[in-house]
Amino acid sequence: MRTNGSQTSEMTAYFLGIYESRYFWTHLAFADLRSKWRRSFLGVAWSIVQPLGMTMLLALVFGRIFHQDIVAYAPYILSGMITWDFFTTTLTGGSLSFVQADAYIKQYRHPLAIYTLRTTLTNLMVWMMASLSLIGWVLVVRPQSFGWSWLAAILVFPFAALIVWPLATCLAYVGARFRDLPHALGLIMQAMWFVSPIYFDAKLFRDGGIGALVDYNPIYHLLELLRAPLLRGQWPTAANVAMCGITIVVFSALAVLIGRRTERKVIFYL
Amino acid sequence: MTRNWIRLDNVNLHYSAVAFKERSLKAMLAGAFAAPNAKPVVHDIHALKNISVEIAPGERVGLLGHNGAGKSTFLKMVAGLYPISSGSRQVEGTVRSLFDLSLGFEPDATGRENILYRGLLLGQTPKFMRSVEEQIVAFADIGEFIDYPIKTYSAGMQVRLAFAISTMVGGDILLLDEVIGAGDVTFMRRAKARITKLIEASEILILATHDFDSLRDICDRVIVLHHGEVKFDGAAGAAIKEYGRLTGVNA
Repeated sequence: MRTNGSQTSEMTAYFLGIYESRYFWTHLAFADLRSKWRRSFLGVAWSIVQPLGMTMLLALVFGRIFHQDIVAYAPYILSGMITWDFFTTTLTGGSLSFVQADAYIKQYRHPLAIYTLRTTLTNLMVWMMASLSLIGWVLVVRPQSFGWSWLAAILVFPFAALIVWPLATCLAYVGARFRDLPHALGLIMQAMWFVSPIYFDAKLFRDGGIGALVDYNPIYHLLELLRAPLLRGQWPTAANVAMCGITIVVFSALAVLIGRRTERKVIFYL
Repeated sequence: MTRNWIRLDNVNLHYSAVAFKERSLKAMLAGAFAAPNAKPVVHDIHALKNISVEIAPGERVGLLGHNGAGKSTFLKMVAGLYPISSGSRQVEGTVRSLFDLSLGFEPDATGRENILYRGLLLGQTPKFMRSVEEQIVAFADIGEFIDYPIKTYSAGMQVRLAFAISTMVGGDILLLDEVIGAGDVTFMRRAKARITKLIEASEILILATHDFDSLRDICDRVIVLHHGEVKFDGAAGAAIKEYGRLTGVNA
């Protein structure tokens, strides 16, 4: 079990523990998916229908207000919406991951990060299914953007997951103790939404002289991994990939830092 | 065979009071207007005090003590669930613990599905769980209910299924917390036989119970805990006497 070694070997043991419990957390993630659509008629189709309907609604309104071409603008909104949905649901849900898994945590000593991994994985699968609606839409209205660059769009899933997982883990450590966090998080996410090019075109920010909100915003760069290929038929830039990579490193370091001090104490707060 | 042992040196464990103190705005406002000292002050709980115990391979150890003496905390500390606040804790070997048996069932899933889920929680592979599924079903013996959702089960049926699953896989170090005590008479008899087999297969056993008979039968060493301290460590008979003296109960 536990041996007193250096901190690196402790980290290795921690990740080994995550690997060894892979059957358990994949099961939990799939069980979450099943229970999400239990006894619903449309079932999993909801993850495609819902963003699609919402996008049509928004595109109609936004198109009128900002005088944009609805057909071109709609996939922009759709890509932003499903990605942002992944972020908010994983982070707000993730902040309660440990609280939700208390029955397991009190019985068996798995690395706690598997419980936020479960939340991340569940929402990742929902997001992947929702992205089918985006692909379908783009293929119909902008078939000219189809090409090899689409392969790069696949990158958005692992990158986003690796950004969100450590961040959700940080939040879960804090959320176990401070139950105000999910409520506060709703507010913070709303604020992030306003200052990020999620529904609004990045050009609007640049024209308004607040281009920094775009250029230094990891959300923008992550969305570009998806948008550049799918919407414009271009490859994402190196800067896009680099910014996402930096974000992963920063959040992972933060998670390790917080986890080292709080991981063992979480059980007292459940 | 690997050498399994447990070495605890001056272990202290505190439950920090911030974890259960009321820290809401409401409580703060109420506190501001209430008379001073109107509310009882909540302190940290010193649950285990300077515990130094060594357990060698092959030992069968009983834990005895009043409610709140620290038996469960001791077991959960050994299992690595609770962090210690000072001292050192070294445990060598795979730990299998049986406490809070019916926690963690998925109410909407069937009994059969839950067999798999629980096995995965306990760190088993899906392949292994499928191979022992029929044995578990046979042991739990709850008839056609095995294909019904857990939420339709009675409390007793849940315990039977949980017990059947949790005792399917053994470990080097077995930690038991009063698991014997639910289910009807016939099930109890089979459960006892099963536990005995598990105990024989394990290398180290720590059993927390109030049942003097099983302590005398199973354990060759009993530790008496009293308000978080080790008051006695030795043979079962003498330990039960000491426990009686400490709590004023004649055994």
